[in-house]
Amino acid sequence: MPEDSPQLLPGTLYLLILRTLAAGPLHGYAIARRIKQCSADVLDVEEGSLYPALNRMLLKGWLRAEWGTSETNRKARFYRLTREGHKQLTAEAGEFDKLVNAIQLVMKTA
Amino acid sequence: MGFLRELYLRLRWLAGQSRFQSELADEIEFHIESRAEELESSGVPQAEALLRARREFGSRLKAAEDTAGAWQMQWLEDLASDLRYAARAFRRNPGFALTAISCLALGIGANTAIFNITTSFLFSQPSCRDSASLIAIWEGGNSGSSLEDFRFLRDAHVFVGMAGINPEREVNWRDGDRTRRFYAGTVTDDFFSTLDVPFLIGRGIAPGESNTAVLSYRVWRNTFAADPAIAGRKLVLEGRVYTIAGVLPADHRTVIGFGFSPDIYIPVASADDYVQFYARMPKGMTRSVARARLLSLFEQLDRIHPKEGWSRANRQTRVTGVTGPDLLQVEMPGAVVAFFAMLLIVVGLVLLIACANVSSLLLARASSRSRELAIRLSLGAGRRRIVRHLLAESLLLSVAGAVAGLAIDIACARGISNLALPVPVPIRLVVSPDWRLLWYSLAVVLASALLCGWLPALKAVGKDVNHALKQEERQTAPTWNLRSVLVAGQLAVSIVLLTTGFLFVHNLLRATSMNPGFDVRHTIWAYMRLVPDNYNDVDHVKQMSVVRTALERLRALPGVDSAAITQRVPFNDNCVIGTQLRADVSPAPIHLQYECNNVGPDYFRTIGIPLLEGREFTAADRQGSQPVAIVNETFARTVFGKTDPVGHTILTDFTHDKPKLIVGVVKDSKYFTLGEKQRLAVYDPYFAHGEPINLHFLIRTGGSPEALVKPITDALGRIDSTAAIETKPMSQALGLALLPSQAGAVMLGAMGILGLLLAAIGLYGVLLFSVSRRTREIGLRLALGATPSDVLRMVGRQSLVLVGGGMLAGLVLASLVMQPLALFLVPGLSTLDPTAVLAVIGVLGATALLASLAPAARALRIDPIEALRYE
Repeated sequence: MPEDSPQLLPGTLYLLILRTLAAGPLHGYAIARRIKQCSADVLDVEEGSLYPALNRMLLKGWLRAEWGTSETNRKARFYRLTREGHKQLTAEAGEFDKLVNAIQLVMKTA
Repeated sequence: MGFLRELYLRLRWLAGQSRFQSELADEIEFHIESRAEELESSGVPQAEALLRARREFGSRLKAAEDTAGAWQMQWLEDLASDLRYAARAFRRNPGFALTAISCLALGIGANTAIFNITTSFLFSQPSCRDSASLIAIWEGGNSGSSLEDFRFLRDAHVFVGMAGINPEREVNWRDGDRTRRFYAGTVTDDFFSTLDVPFLIGRGIAPGESNTAVLSYRVWRNTFAADPAIAGRKLVLEGRVYTIAGVLPADHRTVIGFGFSPDIYIPVASADDYVQFYARMPKGMTRSVARARLLSLFEQLDRIHPKEGWSRANRQTRVTGVTGPDLLQVEMPGAVVAFFAMLLIVVGLVLLIACANVSSLLLARASSRSRELAIRLSLGAGRRRIVRHLLAESLLLSVAGAVAGLAIDIACARGISNLALPVPVPIRLVVSPDWRLLWYSLAVVLASALLCGWLPALKAVGKDVNHALKQEERQTAPTWNLRSVLVAGQLAVSIVLLTTGFLFVHNLLRATSMNPGFDVRHTIWAYMRLVPDNYNDVDHVKQMSVVRTALERLRALPGVDSAAITQRVPFNDNCVIGTQLRADVSPAPIHLQYECNNVGPDYFRTIGIPLLEGREFTAADRQGSQPVAIVNETFARTVFGKTDPVGHTILTDFTHDKPKLIVGVVKDSKYFTLGEKQRLAVYDPYFAHGEPINLHFLIRTGGSPEALVKPITDALGRIDSTAAIETKPMSQALGLALLPSQAGAVMLGAMGILGLLLAAIGLYGVLLFSVSRRTREIGLRLALGATPSDVLRMVGRQSLVLVGGGMLAGLVLASLVMQPLALFLVPGLSTLDPTAVLAVIGVLGATALLASLAPAARALRIDPIEALRYE
């Protein structure tokens, strides 16, 4: 785990997972890898917080989990967005954009 | 919505925890292996790849725990740990826990017991299949109707089944050379099959049978020694042979409700019998549909068999359910419902006292623990967390109290079940705990936990932390703080309880010594029930000769002063007539309601009602002779004013009545209850109007009546061996009249004493606590030169304010709450009975005095120096 990977803003892990799963169901390891790849290796999701987050999202009803077969032909647990999860993604993405824009505005002008 | 789904998911998680854990382990394993494979494909050697993947993942245990944490219900776990903590605290302080639990056990036990009795009396569920589809039919608003109508309804096949019962019959059972009387229910042959009643032994009366009988559990056990091979045995009832078909189970509840349960069931014998109608509705039929169908059937019946001046299909014609609150639609004496409602309120008050007690105990504990709580608060424990912790303590106490209380309740229920009440109807309550009781106790437990724990918990966290940490709470004067309010409130409630209890005890004493207007000490009541089939002549000639023979033999017995026959025995049966009455002294009829009875010669002398004017009936007053009557004083005064009624005539508006010549006036007496307002009464001669199947003889003795009971029974038994004879001193026959005040006195007296006990414990504990907290102050005062009597006066004055305030509030409350009780009291006794009030004030005052002086005296004995150091 690189020491210099930046801390995620609170709540953003949910958003990242939701966004990652929007393309289709993935297992836990693939989610972590995808986030890392997409962020050009900047964001490294800690495994210790990935699984609790996934379970909290299951509980909220944003995700559903089912067992399937991985690309390496092994049994893996796949997570899929529910309708509620899609809704949550749209809402949170909007919020996040607003927040980031606001922060950038402050950073540039203040 | 979201919350519910979340709860559902969490609960599902709780249910499948072990599977979840193994799945999570699999998932983590898969994650690590995938990472290792990736590392391997980028050139890391296999062995190292796996190790590195493991290292990168970190603690698998922690990940698993955190993941499971997402699902756990924090509050549930917190509750469990709070309860564990509370249990540990109670184990360290068993005296406190025991006191609190026994207070609550008494309160909750009394509550659930009364609730149990109330529900089984008022809302019992009949023992039969699918009682929701059963209805009771009120033809023209009457509870019973003719067998002919019953058959018409049954043959119309509107309902799946019909059942008819006349629950108020009596039969004679010939047992060897004795004859005994049973309370019988005569039922139609489809009664048991329609209701589908479960049996202990054998089966019910089957359709088509006319000579089978069903026993109640009570009779089977008490009279037939619980013979397991009873089915098939023959019984001679009313001179006919019946075969026992089955025995009902111990917890059988009849469809009639109110604990009404005949001793024995036999098929309806005569065509002119009256039965109550029950029917089972087909699936999907509602009661309003059933009523509409019945109305049209009754209209048909009215056309086929018209009844004069009356239609079967009138506004009162209705159908009612047979379970729960439906039963209360049946005409139920309001007084009975009021009595149960009052009992429930009273036990509610007892519980309130118990809760106040526990609450003040917890309060005392909390204030001595204030430093501990302050430390916990300052170390960062949330206020809500501490409140929850304190509530968990009271919850634990309540649950323990409820368990003990339910044990008390079940013991009570055992005692009450099948207890014979001294009333002339077969009422036996089957009291057994059921789900309603469980819900009720649960509600009571939660309510009492909140009531007990709420105030102390708020008080404990409401304080300033710094203040509490720096110094022990020091009370300088008992201002009106929370504890004092609790004590005063407790006193107020227990005053209400005690005054009610005392009032009923006083009422009982008064009622027992009250004069019913006749002599109960030297009279005997002998009830001789003849078998109707043996005496079926229309003119009653045969019965009348039995009556005459019986009277002759009774009069001949040594020790008998006089004997008389009567249709009704006062306090056990009455008959009220309302009519337009014409007296020959005025042309206008007056509407009157009066008690009526048919009595034989010598009746007034025998029962001891003084004759004021004229004469008693004689043997010459019989059918065909001049109609005569004797009236009571109040009747004479109401109808004739100052005129002497003897020699005048009265005429009712009944069709066949002739004017009756008044031949005598007797003194007023009581007719049905001791508390009744003085009623009007008219007596007719027995030999002119009597219906002699149930013969009631009254016998006047010179000495004690007990000695004559057996000779009288034997003498009557020799006249007709098929007759059932029951003989008892008249004093026992007053049971029904005294029942309300007896029941009231026993129950409310017990509650009052329970309340006093609880209040006294609470009062003593709280005063003791508050005075002992002032030890330091008392020491200071003594050191500064106060005399012991100054200190005692001070403590006494402060207790007095507290106790006086509580008592005053209680008396005001009591005077309001007890208004409806006037219904149960003998005349001349008001609800605010001065004797009761004084007694209550005395008892509570003494308790308070003792409770405040004992700790004060202890404080006085302390050395001032030591007291000043006392912390």
